Amino acid sequence: MRRFKTYLTAAAFLGPFLLLLVIFQGWPLATMVRDSTRKFSFLNPDEATSVGLDNYRALLDDPMVVKSLQVTVLFSLGLVVLVIPLGLALALFVNQRFRGVKALRALIFTPVVTSVVVIATLWTFLLDPGHGLANTVLGAVGIDPQPFVTSTGQALPSLVVMTVWAQVGFAMILFLSGLQSIPGELLEAASIDGANPWQTFWRVKLPLLRRTTLFVVVIMTVFSFQAFAPAYVMTGGGPESSTVLFVYYIYQSAFTYLRAGYAEALSVLLMAIILVVSSVQLFLLRTKESS
Amino acid sequence: MKLMRIGAVGLAVLLLGTACTAAKDTASKPGCDKVVTLNLLRAQDTPPAPSVLKDWEAAHPCIEIKVSEVPFGQLADKINVIAGSPTPPDVYTYDGPNTATYASRGVIAPMDAAITAAIRADIIPATIKEHTYEGRLYSPGIRQSALALIYNKDMLDKLGITPPDSLDKAWTWDQAIDAMRKCQVGPAGNAKVWGLAPTQSGNGTPGPSYVSLNFLRSAGDPKADQQSSLYKTFWALAPDGKTINGWLNTPEAARGAQIYQDIFNKYGISPKAGIPNAYADGKACFDIQQPSYIGKLLAPDATFKTGVTPLPYVTTPITQTGSLTLGVGARSKHPKEAAEFVMFVASGPEQLKNSQGDHSMPVLKSLFTQLPQYDSYPLAIYRNELEQWGQPRPPGPHYAQYDSIVTSAMRDIAYGGDVAATLDKAVKQFEQIAGKG
Amino acid sequence: MVPGTLPRARRRLRWWNGVIAAVLCAVFLTPYLWMVGSSLKSQDSIFKDASGLSIWTFLPHPATLDNYVDLFVERDLGRAMLNSLLVSAAQVVCTVIVCSLAAYALTRIDFRGRTLLFGVILTTFLVPSEALVVPMYHVATQLGLNDSLWGVFVPWIASPFGIFLLRQAFLDVPRELDEAAMLDGAGHWRIFRSIMLPNVRTALATLALITFLASWNAFLWPLVIAQSPENQVIQVAIAQNTVPGELPNWGVVFAGATLATIPIMVLFMFLQKYFVEGMARSGLKG
Repeated sequence: MRRFKTYLTAAAFLGPFLLLLVIFQGWPLATMVRDSTRKFSFLNPDEATSVGLDNYRALLDDPMVVKSLQVTVLFSLGLVVLVIPLGLALALFVNQRFRGVKALRALIFTPVVTSVVVIATLWTFLLDPGHGLANTVLGAVGIDPQPFVTSTGQALPSLVVMTVWAQVGFAMILFLSGLQSIPGELLEAASIDGANPWQTFWRVKLPLLRRTTLFVVVIMTVFSFQAFAPAYVMTGGGPESSTVLFVYYIYQSAFTYLRAGYAEALSVLLMAIILVVSSVQLFLLRTKESS
Repeated sequence: MKLMRIGAVGLAVLLLGTACTAAKDTASKPGCDKVVTLNLLRAQDTPPAPSVLKDWEAAHPCIEIKVSEVPFGQLADKINVIAGSPTPPDVYTYDGPNTATYASRGVIAPMDAAITAAIRADIIPATIKEHTYEGRLYSPGIRQSALALIYNKDMLDKLGITPPDSLDKAWTWDQAIDAMRKCQVGPAGNAKVWGLAPTQSGNGTPGPSYVSLNFLRSAGDPKADQQSSLYKTFWALAPDGKTINGWLNTPEAARGAQIYQDIFNKYGISPKAGIPNAYADGKACFDIQQPSYIGKLLAPDATFKTGVTPLPYVTTPITQTGSLTLGVGARSKHPKEAAEFVMFVASGPEQLKNSQGDHSMPVLKSLFTQLPQYDSYPLAIYRNELEQWGQPRPPGPHYAQYDSIVTSAMRDIAYGGDVAATLDKAVKQFEQIAGKG
Repeated sequence: MVPGTLPRARRRLRWWNGVIAAVLCAVFLTPYLWMVGSSLKSQDSIFKDASGLSIWTFLPHPATLDNYVDLFVERDLGRAMLNSLLVSAAQVVCTVIVCSLAAYALTRIDFRGRTLLFGVILTTFLVPSEALVVPMYHVATQLGLNDSLWGVFVPWIASPFGIFLLRQAFLDVPRELDEAAMLDGAGHWRIFRSIMLPNVRTALATLALITFLASWNAFLWPLVIAQSPENQVIQVAIAQNTVPGELPNWGVVFAGATLATIPIMVLFMFLQKYFVEGMARSGLKG
């Protein structure tokens, strides 16, 4: 009886959340899985025909799946590799006390709170080969105009640089709170032992920031596997598919190529990838904690 | 906490208020048995124009039109989302060449019942062809289009260049490129005044198939042997709407695509990134444009004089036709009223007003007698092109996908991608989609 | 610390800091300056000023409000901003209420399967919302949420991130507090209201702020679900001019981007503290 009452109370508190979660996460998820075994377009979903696992088979044949996975992995690697050291360096820098440091922190963080649509649009114009600010600045220091997103070689790096610019503030804040949670006694002890700042960083701070670093890696990886707007707004996946991010390819399959069932199969694949990647990373986080 | 509570209450009131004002819309109107509301989906600045809607309201007070608007670039995506929803629009404004795409998937309903034989006989054949799927006509059409090369006459006069003013003397692309190079101010690829303006269709970057496919198809020849690649190149897609290998990626098509690539690379006479209104702002000598673009440019008070010359060609002169049109939603609850509305917008008087307004061409042959400006230079170029060179876009229920694949392939080519390989890749991509749905 | 060495070290530090800070300012501020400056320029002058770096690349000369007038008069941006404000505020209130209730149950009510339930909720955190937009559209329309402001925010109220963040904050509240209250005969509801909520204010503020940001900046979902012009939110209204499909007038785009960004920036400047503290809570101890 007591146990029953506990369940009832729990249900009362959890009810609204769980109800909404089931309706707006569970139901769409189920729809997605069901539709991944169908052939239909959103133009007329009533005319769906069941095709079993055909969509999944087609997925194995599709060179664009491989291409877009490559692009997405490169994008996430580029992002992680640049964001970690830059975010850490920025955190160390703004962890000092000097006039205006708070404003500087806020400034670096600003792109994180700016909408991706606005950032992608802003950068489209920044990187415009003809009238963009980037080439104007390069020209001022004597460098020839660059093609940026209009060339296969520079398009993906351009998106990576833009995303690093937009997200590095997030990493900085995480590292900053990691730094600030390092007990002052530890640092004092190090300086009494005669360690210079360089040694303090490598021997004391960095090891203690391991968990933060892993966390940033998780966040950035998941973030880049979900990235969509850069490709949508800036490049349309081109040139020559060099920026076809996975979620963008899902969008294209569903809305441009009218293969909704196939797009749902791709979504299932995406979810599987994200779940695996983040489980592995979360597992790493766990072990670090217990050790 | 207290602040939050106040906020919550205020918010609830506001939301309720919004809900109530929304509910008011359903009130009935005096003088009407019942008010029918038709939902219309269109892109910004596309038909039906506000003046047309006003005319309709005056004539049909009991049928209201509720307009939803999206940017032109999102129109196709929006249709793809909304068509399958429980409340699809009653009337769509859509790109005519997509007729088969939408008809085959049950988005729009056939309209042959509403289009009388007399009206049908008056419609330009290209439009009939574009709006027919499996023998049924899905839209009467409201305007037609053709592309020509317009030029800054002041600039060319200074150079002593006089582009041809009739179809029989039309330039080939080699001749046109020659003139563009002479006229360009500044180095290739980084000009002050470009030889050819960046396109104003699509997203402003190179590639839109409406423009670029003319280069490919023009390298073919419809009079050649039907088995030859020269013949197939002209059609760019087999009549079945599916077979593409050997139609889009022929040696001839590659030649046309090479010319397109050279414009952006070898000769550097057109920028790879978009510039809004480049031609109108005097930053380009030539531009490939529809007649509706040049109304203001032909006005006596324009800052410079504009001339029109036929669209250059490679082997066979061609201009792709097709324009925005209106269709009745297949799942509309008011199909009769919706059809009535489409026929009203497509009616002679409304089309005439439209053409007088912005120089777009009507689809009714009889109207040209009331539009004398199309009898003489410069607008006659457009009319003659439409009548003598006009070809619908490639056919079939997969046109929407075809359009998007060709557009991105041609963009890659303009950016410097290998021509033959890019066309082959486009072919494979289309085959996968058309084959497997 | 030896008093004598301080000033020199500090001076050197300050010099270096100045240089680095200046570079950082340039990198992070310039794009915004260019955006705001260009929003006050005509199309022609944006292009002209881009052909050579000078102070005029950023400063409008002459300044014009045409782009803003165009946005408000021609494109009804005021309505869109109001809509965004309504939707974001509503989502904040609902999310904070619903998530704090659930987080309480997950931390303070002992029932079997609690850990499992939390695990399931966390898993949904990883589901990419982009992948769900389309099936979500069908669900929302079946519930009659199509083309309304309700439809824009209701699906996102149950935020797994909110649970993630609040659960941690609740766990940090000492057990002794509610045990004492329980001995005094307080029920769960009273403990929740008078002990837990006041003790997790920072986390609540953080959740509110993050929810507001996410809601204000959301793009794809509002674009799909709210079709009529009167239901448009700011990002969608901006995108009407920013999506390159329209080959936009640069000045209007910059003006729109500025309007969509400034409120959020101001909010962030004032509430930065909550953000930093909350991030530390949610991320690093979880």
